[in-house]
Amino acid sequence: MNMHALETPVRSNPVQIGKILRMALLLMPLLSGGLSFVYIKNQQFALGDQIRQTERSLRETRAENEVLLAKVTSMTSRRALQERVSSGFIAVVPVTGDKIARLLPPTQETETTALRTAFNGASRQ
Amino acid sequence: MNKVDRTRIIVASAVASAIFTAFSARLVHIHITKHEEYSRIAADKHSKRQIIRAKRGMILDRNGEILAANLPVRTIFADASHITNPQELATLAASRLSLDAAELAEKFASGKKYIVLKRQVPEQLTLDLFEEMQSRRLRGLYSEKDSIRTYPNGSMLGHVIGFLNHERKGIQGIERTFDAELTGTDGYRYIERDRTGREIVPYRGLEEEPENGQNIRLTIDMHLQAILEEELDATYKELRPETVTAILVDPHTGGILAMGSRPTFDPNNPGEAKPEQMKNRAIIDMVEPGSTFKIVVAAGALNEGTVDEKTSIFCENGRFVYAGRTLRDHHGYAQMSVRDILVKSSNIGSAKMALMMGADKYYEYVRRFGFGERLGIELPGEIAGLVHPPSRWDKLTITRMPMGHAVAVTPLQIAMSMSVIANGGKLMSPRIVQSLESPQGREKTMKAPLVIRNVVPEKTARFVGNALSAVTQPGGTATYARVTGFNVAGKTGTAQKVSPNGGYAAGKYVVSFSGFMPAEDPRFVCLVIVDDAKVASNLNYGGTLAAPVFSRIAEKTARYMNLTPTLPAIPLLDSPLAKIENATQKTH
Repeated sequence: MNMHALETPVRSNPVQIGKILRMALLLMPLLSGGLSFVYIKNQQFALGDQIRQTERSLRETRAENEVLLAKVTSMTSRRALQERVSSGFIAVVPVTGDKIARLLPPTQETETTALRTAFNGASRQ
Repeated sequence: MNKVDRTRIIVASAVASAIFTAFSARLVHIHITKHEEYSRIAADKHSKRQIIRAKRGMILDRNGEILAANLPVRTIFADASHITNPQELATLAASRLSLDAAELAEKFASGKKYIVLKRQVPEQLTLDLFEEMQSRRLRGLYSEKDSIRTYPNGSMLGHVIGFLNHERKGIQGIERTFDAELTGTDGYRYIERDRTGREIVPYRGLEEEPENGQNIRLTIDMHLQAILEEELDATYKELRPETVTAILVDPHTGGILAMGSRPTFDPNNPGEAKPEQMKNRAIIDMVEPGSTFKIVVAAGALNEGTVDEKTSIFCENGRFVYAGRTLRDHHGYAQMSVRDILVKSSNIGSAKMALMMGADKYYEYVRRFGFGERLGIELPGEIAGLVHPPSRWDKLTITRMPMGHAVAVTPLQIAMSMSVIANGGKLMSPRIVQSLESPQGREKTMKAPLVIRNVVPEKTARFVGNALSAVTQPGGTATYARVTGFNVAGKTGTAQKVSPNGGYAAGKYVVSFSGFMPAEDPRFVCLVIVDDAKVASNLNYGGTLAAPVFSRIAEKTARYMNLTPTLPAIPLLDSPLAKIENATQKTH
């Protein structure tokens, strides 16, 4: 028996914890960097969707506002109101001259031959 | 390691290096040398320049009343490369947009990336359509923002506001003059879409916000415009003239308070209007002004010292033979002062004043009053009128022009010349735009009143103004222009219409009244022109047709402006037409 062979220590392949840890420590920032990148990208896309939705609802609200403004303008326009007055929907009582109080009330003219044509709706009827 | 092994390693390394070098070289070529080309191809495939439309500015009256607004609508378009179910999408879109389904399916099959399906689709209908698409998981239709211009007051002030063509370009009125200011500048944004056509927001590229158009605030007061339009409508219906025009001006600033003419049109439906209805006659019609032009010769002769307040001119008892032709007055007058010539509207007196001044001097005053030039109102198409220089006059012109013949002027020029008398002698540039405002109404660009020139001194203007006050008093030619409680100054005009075949058209007249009120402190100038009224010749005068219209407009305007009456009230009198009608009824 070869005693020398028996005494020779067995060649083992031990786990080198130190090296592994060292590698892990080196890779950790890379891994976390990569994960963070993916997370941030996802967040970016999610926020992008939110921005798109918000912009859309903002656009719709603005458009609705403009539609309403156009409707209000049309319904309160002079033409629309005049139509309502003439149809009797809105009753307007004309203010006659004697109902207007003035600081310098005009004196009544006694002369009957003086001419006047000024506002005289009756002459048209 | 033996020699063979080493050789093998060197060969393998060399081959590997060569391969990697080739790939690297190719990558460098693609990334650096061909960068621009491939970037463009990639951008064309994914990136799109999205136009962000600027909002067109509004048109407002001086009190902020909206005269032109925008109604948001959508343009629906399809990207056929995104459509997954063309048949179902065609059926849905056809039912919602009132289109033909088969035609849509054919369009979708073309594979084009931009197919316009329908324009001017209401906002709510678009939202409903896209909700329905989402619920049915359909894709491929998109919308673009657009708007329709609306004019809430319809035909009221239509000539001044104008309208847009189908390309949204202003082609008449304020819409045209201020098209650039109203339009603003479109913005843009470079975007990328995913395969479903949705925008990928993080990949947004260069972006520029749109600059919305400015709001235009006019000098027009819609209260006064309504008064004016009501009277125009009534006159057009009652007298059945070819046209009727009226202008209300602030003589001190030249600001147009109201302006209108008949016939008119609705700018909401310009396609339905005839060309004749679309003319803004206040600035593009030429008329012979008639006797309203006599203020020019009177003011000119006084200012030049040719005559003074006491000068007496012999008016030939109504018949003045000059250059072989006879000039007549309505009534025969002997000696008359300048004041009386204006009050009685003597043609002979006016002609003699012009003769005393001389052709060149008289012509100078015609031009100084603004006739024969564009006054610069901010509306398209203003004409200069026609005033020939003395070198082109015949022998009779100097006697005809002072009474408003042998000259063609615009209604605006007549109104502005009366403003010269009303404001103390200054020819103002007519303005219809008060300010330009940012969409938020914060920044304003005010348009200041502009004096074109001093025509006559205040003293001369006041003398002519006083004479014009007498025109509306008993004995004058325009008693029907009187307004209870106020002193009215003005001048009538009656001119026979020029015939297209040469000479004058028999029985056709252009009658007018141009005046201001209160005479002692004028707040407004008003001109009324009635062209070819269908009434008897003995009624077809400025004093009988145009003066009563002026009177009604002036009284309502005075009420609106809250002017305090300074004169005693005067009793009502039937209008001349009502008088005739009453007389006719009694005889039958």
